[in-house]
Amino acid sequence: MNGNRPKNESKRSRSLVNRRTMLKGVGVSLALPFMNSVSWAESTSPAKPPVRLGFMYMPHGVIMDKFWPKSSEDYLKSASPAIESLRPILDQCLMMKGISGVPIGPYKGAPHALELSTWLTARLPDADTRSRVNISISADQIMANYVGALTSLPSLELATMPQTHKENQEGLHEAYYSHCSFRSPTQPVPAEIAPRNVLNRLFGKTGKGGQTMQASPLDRQMLDRVLGGARNLRKTLAKGDQQKLDEYLDSVRSVERRIAAIEMRQKRAALEKAGLSPKKRTTNDSPPIEVKIPEGDKRSEYMQVMCDLNVLAFQTDTTRVSTYIGSTPNGLTYPELGFTDLHHSTTHHNNGQKKMDKVAAITKFNIDQFAYMVNKMANLREGEGSLLDNCIMMWGSGLEDGNKHRRANLPFIIAGKGGGSINTGRFLTDVKGNQGDLLTTLLSCAGVPLDRPIGIATKQINEIKA
Amino acid sequence: MLKVFSAARCTRFLVVLFLAFSLSISTAFSKEAAKPKINLGELRTDARKTFKDKVGPFVKTYCSKCHGSRAKAGINLLSALKNPGSASAFVHWKKSVANVKVNDMPPEEDVKKIPTPEERQQFIKWIDKLKYLAEKDPGPYVIRRLTKAEYANTLHDLYGVDPSITDNLPDEVIGEGFINSISPMQSELYLEIANKVVNTIVPPKGEGPTSIQLKLFGGTPSKGVDLRQRARGIARSLARDAYRRPASEFELDTLVDIFDLGRENKLSYTDSLGLMLKAVLVSPQFLFITPSEVAKPKEKIVKLDDYQLASRLSYMLWAAPPDAELSALADKGELSKTAVLRAQADRLLSHPRSRALFDGFGAQWLRITGLEKQAFDPKVFPQMTPELRKAMMEEARLLFESILRENKSVVRFVDSDYTFLNEPLAKLYGLKTSVKGSKMRRVKLENGNRGGILGMPAVLAATSFPNRTSPVKRGVWVLEQILGERVPPAPANVPELEEQEHKNVEGLSLRQRFELHQSEPTCANCHKVLDPIGFGMENFDAIGEWRDKNEVGAKIDSAGKLPNGEAFSGPRELKTLLAKEDTKIARNMTERLMAFALGRQLEGYDEIVIDQLMEKISKDKHRLRTIILEVVTSYLYTHRRIKE
Repeated sequence: MNGNRPKNESKRSRSLVNRRTMLKGVGVSLALPFMNSVSWAESTSPAKPPVRLGFMYMPHGVIMDKFWPKSSEDYLKSASPAIESLRPILDQCLMMKGISGVPIGPYKGAPHALELSTWLTARLPDADTRSRVNISISADQIMANYVGALTSLPSLELATMPQTHKENQEGLHEAYYSHCSFRSPTQPVPAEIAPRNVLNRLFGKTGKGGQTMQASPLDRQMLDRVLGGARNLRKTLAKGDQQKLDEYLDSVRSVERRIAAIEMRQKRAALEKAGLSPKKRTTNDSPPIEVKIPEGDKRSEYMQVMCDLNVLAFQTDTTRVSTYIGSTPNGLTYPELGFTDLHHSTTHHNNGQKKMDKVAAITKFNIDQFAYMVNKMANLREGEGSLLDNCIMMWGSGLEDGNKHRRANLPFIIAGKGGGSINTGRFLTDVKGNQGDLLTTLLSCAGVPLDRPIGIATKQINEIKA
Repeated sequence: MLKVFSAARCTRFLVVLFLAFSLSISTAFSKEAAKPKINLGELRTDARKTFKDKVGPFVKTYCSKCHGSRAKAGINLLSALKNPGSASAFVHWKKSVANVKVNDMPPEEDVKKIPTPEERQQFIKWIDKLKYLAEKDPGPYVIRRLTKAEYANTLHDLYGVDPSITDNLPDEVIGEGFINSISPMQSELYLEIANKVVNTIVPPKGEGPTSIQLKLFGGTPSKGVDLRQRARGIARSLARDAYRRPASEFELDTLVDIFDLGRENKLSYTDSLGLMLKAVLVSPQFLFITPSEVAKPKEKIVKLDDYQLASRLSYMLWAAPPDAELSALADKGELSKTAVLRAQADRLLSHPRSRALFDGFGAQWLRITGLEKQAFDPKVFPQMTPELRKAMMEEARLLFESILRENKSVVRFVDSDYTFLNEPLAKLYGLKTSVKGSKMRRVKLENGNRGGILGMPAVLAATSFPNRTSPVKRGVWVLEQILGERVPPAPANVPELEEQEHKNVEGLSLRQRFELHQSEPTCANCHKVLDPIGFGMENFDAIGEWRDKNEVGAKIDSAGKLPNGEAFSGPRELKTLLAKEDTKIARNMTERLMAFALGRQLEGYDEIVIDQLMEKISKDKHRLRTIILEVVTSYLYTHRRIKE
């Protein structure tokens, strides 16, 4: 059979490797021996755990005097009502006022599509092609491009709601209402909403019906050939259609990569077993947390299991980047709090006390879930400290205030020291920066070398750094 | 489940809407269209002159200050003025018309004088002519990935597997040819599903071959047969079905290469064929409907080849791959003959599988696809159970199907004297009939307030808030979904109803509160048009039950006037008035179906084609099936542009 192999085989393989390398923009390709590529897990000296970066989102802004601490002195002494549940770890958190959102100038009629879609891009959608998705790569995906190849999943995207909200204000594509992660300017990354699926896919705890992918080298080679076979097809297509095809081919490539990553892990485990390789986890590290899928449909339980999955993914180094859209603009009510109005309607409170109280309660509810996650991380040992010590977890909203759609002081909470890169335990009252500056700074803290600022960024916010 | 997913197929091919509501433009137009021959050349000359003498000066006087150099509220007339007949300009013109029509634009504070009502009507007419500036153009053939429902049906039809095999695939957000991309975690699902399919077809060693295996791979090859040659033959037939067209030699090379890969890795002959089949199932040629040949590079516009036509037709009407009859006609090159195409479309429509057209198109058009997951306040509407929601969807589907099967006028959607009910739904209708049990059945209606989509619970619920009705949403729904109007979006930062700064709105009826709404200058112009229609449906509560009094006990007043001055006293009369708008209802349906069929927005030249179709359609009394047959045999459906 060998004699019948096409002559161009080796050439094709090489070109695929190149494509892959370019795609990921990272100095690791599958052509290299896997062992050389993972320094944290493989080095013999006690290695520093990697920095992991997580985002969690709530739309429509907050009630400001319930959110911001009264002063920088007050921050540690008396937590503002919204952040009450973070009290045990406020010394490991950082708050900063003065981060402005992207000015939405030409799109004043679509504040909610933009509060989410600009949240991690810090850039407005393209004005000429607003009915199509055209914005820019988001901060989480930039990070995934750098570190994604080192873990079995490049990034994790979670959401509470299906991303199917339909609204097209200012002629903007509806995907802007429910997505904040963009793999490229034209590719929104959809989020998982079923905890069971996430659990099965990430960790293979097969419940009924679920199963993880088997690493089959044969499948990997087969996919490689399928990719090569699509070359001629591509040529017959118009430009826009080529882009659609490429999106699919990219996804095939990601499967290829994932199979390779699983192969790599299996090899590593075998070496560990044979005593040929140091164990990745130190004995001091906490064992992986248990994740239980709740039976009912209580929102808090649902959000907490998503948070657990995020913790587990970080703890096991299954991924190093996550984005959790805790809720999307419009369409969500809070029955658990006894509120049957839409979150959005409530935030147009017009300074009415009843509604403002509801907004404050909704904000607190969302921050409580975030606090559940980061408190847990603070209690998990990793390396010399806690899991949280090695993470940067950002909670925030895309508006300061939903009533008037203000964006001058976006609410953010950062939890975690980012492996020592962030100086926590403070409330910075006036940082004078924008959303892009903040994202650029956080990526820099996470060790991502940036060749250009994110979105409207002009600088890094050095006050944040340790 | 299937319903929801396939319904998403055409979410946002929001047809660019076109006709004036309060005006008799459409009538004027159909008179024009009724002339024996439309002379496009003359019309184009006239359009050029109109543009130069009328449109340009109007825009400069009233619009350019804000919309002249850059986009404001999504309208940029600078490029539209430079190239008025272009596809991109088309959208801007339509939006402008929508705003000018309801007196929303220009705003008094920004211009020296505002246009007179006559000037506004003139402007609408002038803009309508600009379509004649567009060049003859069927648009490109837009490729897209199969939807979840289409993918499931395709696996079922070709390989006999249960469609539920795709259940783990994510929901889709779709619009204008956009299907959401796949998350890293989801991306292996296609491979996983392909594995399952192959494992179902090729049983483990020791067990005999399945019948599907025999059909796809043939029996055990006899000794001495060139296995590689045989594999190539099998690849050819697998690809013919899976790619829905003959594979190129290069594509066959790829597949045989994968067969070789299996053999080199010590897979049996059969398992190597299984690997090859798996490759077919994850190939883009399978997941996308792709053209079969490199078109002749010299031509700008070509006819769709027979294979593409077969796929386009089959996925449109059945959400499934072409069946044996369609495929055979494509192989013979017969399908592109208009008579054959029409007969095949008719055949597909007569088959029960054409229910896919409601799932993919009908539910989308009625905007009820989200109903199953829509939030309702359980305290106010404890009866809104999953069963009741399902019955509501079924009612809409069955009405759609009955109009399609019986080939009735699309006006039946608005005004019919029958519907489909089961016991819970009959209860919601307040009927004390013999309708018992969960089975849906056709029921004759005596109450003129019901019958048709305006009094249909699925629609009434889909246009409501969790705890109350929304006359505005209902008004917009009627204008857009039934009459094909374009309603301008609400300006930014406008408070919702409850948020207005009126000291005491408690105790006022919703209508009185809305009248306050109308007293806000920023809202008034549009809401004068929207609200009366919405209030005409106010006797139906947020899940479609009849009521005489609203939540706070105030008596409901559902009388009102249409923008053209015609008065109605309640839902029944509103329905009767709207049913008179048969031309608009039919045109809206035609445009939406066309956009759905093409997978793109309609633009300049498309309007000219639609004009021509409407002539034939109105002669046949706006029958639904006729509309579909005209769409699938139209120039736009059967041609594609291959060069800019």
